[in-house]
Amino acid sequence: MKIAVIVFPGSNCDRDTQWALERTGLGADLVWHTEGNLEGYSAVFLPGGFSYGDYLRAGALAKFSPVMAEVKRLAERGYPVVGICNGFQALTEAGLLPGALLANTNLHYTCKDVFVRVERDDLPFTSAYRQGQVLRIPMAHGEGRYYTDDETLHRLEQNRQIVFRYVEQQGQGGNPNGSLADIAGIVNERGNVLGMMPHPERAVEEVLGSVDGGGLFESLKRTLEIVA
Amino acid sequence: MKFHATILIELKEGILDPQGRAVEGVLKGLNYKVEQVRVGRVLEMELEAPSEPEAKETALSIAKALANPVMEVYALEALKELV
Repeated sequence: MKIAVIVFPGSNCDRDTQWALERTGLGADLVWHTEGNLEGYSAVFLPGGFSYGDYLRAGALAKFSPVMAEVKRLAERGYPVVGICNGFQALTEAGLLPGALLANTNLHYTCKDVFVRVERDDLPFTSAYRQGQVLRIPMAHGEGRYYTDDETLHRLEQNRQIVFRYVEQQGQGGNPNGSLADIAGIVNERGNVLGMMPHPERAVEEVLGSVDGGGLFESLKRTLEIVA
Repeated sequence: MKFHATILIELKEGILDPQGRAVEGVLKGLNYKVEQVRVGRVLEMELEAPSEPEAKETALSIAKALANPVMEVYALEALKELV
């Protein structure tokens, strides 16, 4: 059982993601973005960073990488696909997730811990959490303001596609970027493609300040073990 | 035939444009009486095409590939033949 962590020119959370997967007991390969074949991989991660220098728009040029056609194909076949930060931006640009990520309302690149509430625990990415649980995870982005039209937002709410929401915890945290409906992460309708702005891979060890991100990798491991 | 194309990509109306707001704030600080400042992007390119209509079609398909329909609109601002 192997997971592909895609590396675009400018990705910089690829190794952290690989590390988080491996310490959970999931094998992970770094796969260069020109790769046209992901046969044999059980899941795919699009890591954080600045693919193509964020030129044009964050995540915009990554969608033209050869590997993205293959990521799309796996997503359509129901394989778990996770995009974190820049990976989330790339998934929306590629049309694998609805909406878009715009410049933070305050125009600041913001790097700090945020609190997110787990809105559902019945997904391959959240089964190790419980619904309503609040996680402390770092964010680090300048374009994380989730936006979509009213109709799509309504559909996201109806289908329970909002997975993580920014919340306040003891007067701290809250919505850091002006995201619509406090959205920090969503899934596609089928529930196998997840995009989120905060970085769970940066919160998997005490030494990193939080272990709250570990549940995501643990959830995926449980799911893949059942499938296998 | 060679053409020069100018493509404009900007945020849809109604979408908050914090860059535009920041620029507007600065302009107001310089005593300019301005409102509704928006920041967009201009792409310039030279392209080969057998005719002007085909050059237009190519330029528009490039604009469509590069703009994000969720939040942006695009337009071919100018197209002229290079001689």
